[in-house]
Amino acid sequence: MTNMRKMTLLANFLAIAIVLNIIESAIPIIPVPGAKLGFANIITLIILYVYSFKDSMSITLLRVILVAILTGKLLGVTFYMSLSGAVFATLAMGLVKQLNYFGMIGVSTIGSVFHSIGQIIAGIFVIGSTAVVAYLPIMLFLSIPAGALTGLIAQRFYIIWQSWHNIIVEIK
Amino acid sequence: MSSKMSMKNKRDLLLVTLLFTILGGIFILFRLFAFQGEASTANIYYGTSNNPVVTIDFINYRVIRNYDQQVSNDYSDNYPIIDEANRTVTLLGDYELNGVRQIVVIEYNFGNKSVQIIQEQSPNHICSREGISTSFPLICLPNRIRVEFDMTDVDFTV
Repeated sequence: MTNMRKMTLLANFLAIAIVLNIIESAIPIIPVPGAKLGFANIITLIILYVYSFKDSMSITLLRVILVAILTGKLLGVTFYMSLSGAVFATLAMGLVKQLNYFGMIGVSTIGSVFHSIGQIIAGIFVIGSTAVVAYLPIMLFLSIPAGALTGLIAQRFYIIWQSWHNIIVEIK
Repeated sequence: MSSKMSMKNKRDLLLVTLLFTILGGIFILFRLFAFQGEASTANIYYGTSNNPVVTIDFINYRVIRNYDQQVSNDYSDNYPIIDEANRTVTLLGDYELNGVRQIVVIEYNFGNKSVQIIQEQSPNHICSREGISTSFPLICLPNRIRVEFDMTDVDFTV
């Protein structure tokens, strides 16, 4: 029963992450070209706290691949960049969470920084030049408020989740 | 539990403030001191190649076509197209719409030694929104086209 609930909830989380990802790339919220808030990262963070690192990583990978298929950009340049960014961010967040030193906002901010680093590394391979590194300072700088904001949203969600999830468990 | 939470929240706040200040400082210093001076040439690259397709020589006012892009026979034009009257260079990018690769139009200006991507296809047209540049590399990742500048050293001893 618990397994089935987990599976259903993970499927719902995946659907939400895909929708957030697609909406976000369609509407440029920040005026800086190519910069995004990373709302899909909220789901990665929530699953990391609600379930485990393994679940978080698999849902993130599925999200990146499914978004690429849905937008018709599988194996394209942008696909490799989002894949690399997402893997770096999830790995970093999993490690920082293990340290148990920072809260969700801190974990999210560090994940956001590593997302930028992962994207730049993929960018170097995509164009075969280190010229992309020139974009690293602005990306790192913008990643801090973006990461803090997504962390704050995830934290709010997690507090609400804990209360209603415990109510459901008690009823059982 | 609640005191532990607030302890973590304090650390989070400290981390975010610290990172924001440090990275903000690096960003401002980078903008102020990196990529100074005047460009002698601008090189336009395609893909992972390190041989420029087109070189724009700002000193001798010339645009040099180094080699043709490898394009399948479905595309009638021979890229790159250099239009000296309108001061543009047109390349074929990697971004596809309905399976057709799209062009990238780059405008150059010998007067202020600048380059700008003026027309391309990419998500939200991020490449043409990078604006005009005289030294900072212009990179269009979805099209895998980039413009890098060769700088002449500025003599600070004057």
